[in-house]
Amino acid sequence: MKNFLRIGLVLVLMVASKVEAAPLSAELVMSGGRTWRGTLLKRDGEWVEFSTGVSARPIRLGASTIEKINYDVELNLDRLLELKENREFDQLISSLNEVLKPFEPYGDIPSNLTRYRALLMELYFLTEEFDQTLTYAKQIEADAGDDGEAVENAQTYQALALIESGRSDEADALMSRLGWLDDLGEDSDPKQLFLGAKLMSVKKDFNRAMELVAYVIAFNSQNTEWMQPAELFCAEVYTELGMYESAEEVIRQIELLYPNTPEYDKSIILKEKVMEMRALQALEQNS
Amino acid sequence: MGLRSLVLGFSIALIGMHGWVPVAVGQDVSTAGITDLFAQANLALQRGDYQAAIPALEEVVKRTAGIEHVEGKQTCQTCRFQLARAYYQVGSTAAGLEVIEAYLESEPRNKEALMLRMQAQGYFETEEWEKVQTAAERLLGLVKLTSEDTYNGNLLLGQALFRLERWSECLDPLGVAAKSATDERTRNLCNIMSVRALVEAENWSRLFGLVPQLYRTDAKYDITLNLTLMRAGKARYEAEDYLNALLLYRMVLPRNSLLDFTDKKIAGLQQKLDADKRVGIQSSAVATRQAEIDGLVESKSVLVDLPAYEDEVTFRIGQIYAEIKRYWEGFVLFDKLYRQDRSSEIGEAAMLQSVLVLYDVKEIARAEERIVTYLNEQPDGQYARTLLSLKMRDNLVKQEFGDVVAMKSNMDMIPESSDLDENALQADLHYMMAFGLFQNRDYADAEAEFSAILSGFENSIHFNDARYYRGMTRMLQAKYAEALSDFEGYRELNSSGEHTAAALFRMGVCRFGLEEIDAAEAFFSEFIATYPEDILVSEAYSMRGDIEASKQSTVEDPNPLDRAVADYRKGINTATAPLQSSYAAFQAAKVYKLEGRWEDIIELMNYYLDRWEELANISEATFWLGQAQIEMGEIDEAVDAYVNTIERFGNDLQQEGVDKIILELKRVAERLMENEEIEFLADRVRSMGEDLGSSQPVLQLRLRSLESMLNGTQLAFGKILIEDGVALAELSPVGLALVCDAAVESAPEKVTEISSYFMASYEESELLWKAYRARAVLLQQAGSLDELMGVIEEAQGLFGADPYMDWAQLMKAEAQAEMADYEGAEESYNMILGVAEWRGATYAKAMIGLGNCRLQQDELEKAHSFFQRVYLLFKGYDDGLWAAKGYLAAAQTLETLGREDEARSTLQAMLDDSYTQSHRLASEARERLERL
Repeated sequence: MKNFLRIGLVLVLMVASKVEAAPLSAELVMSGGRTWRGTLLKRDGEWVEFSTGVSARPIRLGASTIEKINYDVELNLDRLLELKENREFDQLISSLNEVLKPFEPYGDIPSNLTRYRALLMELYFLTEEFDQTLTYAKQIEADAGDDGEAVENAQTYQALALIESGRSDEADALMSRLGWLDDLGEDSDPKQLFLGAKLMSVKKDFNRAMELVAYVIAFNSQNTEWMQPAELFCAEVYTELGMYESAEEVIRQIELLYPNTPEYDKSIILKEKVMEMRALQALEQNS
Repeated sequence: MGLRSLVLGFSIALIGMHGWVPVAVGQDVSTAGITDLFAQANLALQRGDYQAAIPALEEVVKRTAGIEHVEGKQTCQTCRFQLARAYYQVGSTAAGLEVIEAYLESEPRNKEALMLRMQAQGYFETEEWEKVQTAAERLLGLVKLTSEDTYNGNLLLGQALFRLERWSECLDPLGVAAKSATDERTRNLCNIMSVRALVEAENWSRLFGLVPQLYRTDAKYDITLNLTLMRAGKARYEAEDYLNALLLYRMVLPRNSLLDFTDKKIAGLQQKLDADKRVGIQSSAVATRQAEIDGLVESKSVLVDLPAYEDEVTFRIGQIYAEIKRYWEGFVLFDKLYRQDRSSEIGEAAMLQSVLVLYDVKEIARAEERIVTYLNEQPDGQYARTLLSLKMRDNLVKQEFGDVVAMKSNMDMIPESSDLDENALQADLHYMMAFGLFQNRDYADAEAEFSAILSGFENSIHFNDARYYRGMTRMLQAKYAEALSDFEGYRELNSSGEHTAAALFRMGVCRFGLEEIDAAEAFFSEFIATYPEDILVSEAYSMRGDIEASKQSTVEDPNPLDRAVADYRKGINTATAPLQSSYAAFQAAKVYKLEGRWEDIIELMNYYLDRWEELANISEATFWLGQAQIEMGEIDEAVDAYVNTIERFGNDLQQEGVDKIILELKRVAERLMENEEIEFLADRVRSMGEDLGSSQPVLQLRLRSLESMLNGTQLAFGKILIEDGVALAELSPVGLALVCDAAVESAPEKVTEISSYFMASYEESELLWKAYRARAVLLQQAGSLDELMGVIEEAQGLFGADPYMDWAQLMKAEAQAEMADYEGAEESYNMILGVAEWRGATYAKAMIGLGNCRLQQDELEKAHSFFQRVYLLFKGYDDGLWAAKGYLAAAQTLETLGREDEARSTLQAMLDDSYTQSHRLASEARERLERL
């Protein structure tokens, strides 16, 4: 592991150990918008024990009466994202889980931990642990409330995880419910196009998949978020279609444009696969 | 671009000269003391009156220039510094540069960095880029530079190198300047120059690293950057560097995005400037900021004035994607343009490109739908030919010839053109249409298309081939003389063309068709001698073999069959395809059969089977082997081989040899087998069918057909097949023949469907006459005599006077008689009497027909004579039927002649005749006798 990464993780863990020292300092947002600042002491079934520090005795609150918990968390999200960039996903997952462990008893109550859970959701997706991705995605969707961006992000990962784990009917149902499959075309949201393309691919309708992902590439070439996965996916589908020259061309572009990215790594593996397929094809032709 | 707009101005600092007292400005400098001169200059500088300061400063420099002591030098250099600045301020850059030169050559140089910046800046204004470079490099070579010096040095150096088109060298200084720039505009300018330099240096990896960074910022909306990328993309495209062209192009933002952003930016900057001006800011700052706004307005006007580029860029990107085989990306771009306005020039072009791509990705239905839409909307559109060509070519490749032919109406709607390319394409269309028609066996129309090329497109690449293929269409229409002319013409013009050899072979075929047998043989011999390796040589041997086989043996030429067999064997040896070899082998077998050389047949078939193994026509070879074995008395072996072959190949409809075997088994059974043996064979066949269950339906039906033929229940079986609604596609010729026979009786409404299917599917079948017969019977019953004559003519054209074809000649004669063409009818009847194979009942029928003809012409004596011959000559046929008919007809004729005694005698003779006395018609004779 690179030194800077090691230092980063240590820092994260240090923060985590601080959080582990329960009780947890937090602000409770109650119905009607009232807030109480204090310390969460423990969870007892449907009850939450909370100390405001005003009275000596803690108060017991019904968990369902708490609308949201704002923990005093001091995680450096930017640092975490930077570590993510370095693609030490397993280490990051492990560290984040450690950090979030003390909050687990209150996990069913919406909180300001959503962005960390979102990061975990994404990391699980990147490590192809789709069940975990789905668990976090559903939790975030339920907890994020008015945070439309977080909800949409969670729905996106739900769709992705369902597609990647081959649960195309569920993915189809989800995306249809969200209207993400309606009238897909050049003006559509690149995310919806990408997901639609992935779904079509799972359904083995590779030409339609190609058409949808081509919309992403051809009309959203300045979109740095979706272009990279779209180009990789495009290379994969061309491979599925046996259009190896096309796949190789896309891979060349990925190598040129997106060095040091997960898409780059996967494109290298795909490149080898294409070479193998080509060799097999040549063998068949010769025989 | 002026330096002032690029380089930060530096603040004006007054000369710090302690102890100097200011004096009145305007004093004569040549007479003033140095102290006064200092004071005068200082005062002017304080007031910002640089022009006024110049004479004093010049004078001080002049007076101190030669001084050697330190203070004097210091004074001189200080004044040079201020003098240079004053010159710059009044716009006398050249004079300022001279002073700077002197400063930089002298000591001390406390302000060296600043003077170098000024020097570079001065040369920048005069666009002396190498001097800018020198000054900037010297500046950057100094130790302990301020960050501002470093920034300005790199900025000037980068720009100078850029202007000198030293693309790779300018990148680093521009990069430093971009990073250090505190204002967005300068940073953007540096980046844009870097982009251009990277493009020019073809440093793609660095470029594609830089551009995404820019695209994370608002710099992506910079109009100059976008225009730079677009132009670079175009240049790379024209240099056929498609990958880089693509990556450059796809960074270009749409014009509206750029204009919207720039408008907002101008408005924002202007609003802020106006507000700041109201508060009060330095005029230099106002000028700088106004210059930035003016620059944006100018760049916007460039974009506004630029002809619409979005569609062109979209189209080019699409082309690049298609070129590098990223077909789908290309398609969606073309599709956008097509859907946007398919009637515009670019929309039409995009439609064409989209169709090409759809073919590439095998979305044929979509491609064809688009083509049809276009052709319906613009039947004479500029791409009509190209699109038709695409669709026709694809259908030809897929062997969907009907679809090719269906495009004829579209083709005919395209107007003539004088354009060479379009004419070439038009010739292509005719050529492909001709092949579609040719493959669809519409040889007449195919001939017309080839003729169109020959008459109107003599520059076409298809011109020569069209002549050869027109010859083929003519040959296949039996227009041998015209075909011969085409083949000869082709060979005259193409001594070594693709079809030169084949044309010679076809010439032989044409001569054969023209019944110029000697000439045909000569052509085949010439062909064999000239082109011994040609793929047609096997067929040439076979054709020559056919000619030899048709020759009569004479004293001079006693063994033509031997030569025929020799040719057929060479035909087998030189064959390049199983079909060629099969033809030769089976023709040779027919010759051997004529000579009763059964062992030779066995040897030949084994040789043929060894040569082609699984590719051989095993069923037909087995048929021949079996025939030979039967003739050699090896009946059981032959029957075994036949049954095994039926079992092995019987489910394959294409194995027509199986049907030949079935017919042969029936013949063998009738001719050589006892009833018990026949029953045993029928049982064997039945049990084979039962073992199959429902699998292999074609074989099942063949076995059941054979069984019915062995049992003599074929008519009933044919009816069962009709009643059961068995699919015609599952019936081989044997089954179809049974169905044809049965349909005439039990389902006349189906005769047309069944016979048409049979004729279309098995035009080479030896049982096809059954289809013609069924159709003919139906027409005869309906009284459609003209049509009937057509069918008969066709049937006779195919089968001639083969033993089973008597029905055709009889029907013809009867139809002629019914049409009162007695002369024709008699001629037809007489022809029957000339065919030995039809001896017997058919002769009797013909005689009766002849008699009837005479009756109709009131030639009763002659009629009687024919009837008389019938009962005298054909007693033994059909259980006396024809004799009985002869007696009755003869008696009737005598009665009409009034020779009643003779009529009675004739009827009595019929009743005394052992062949007719017990016939069912005898009762009619008795009735007549009683009446007489």
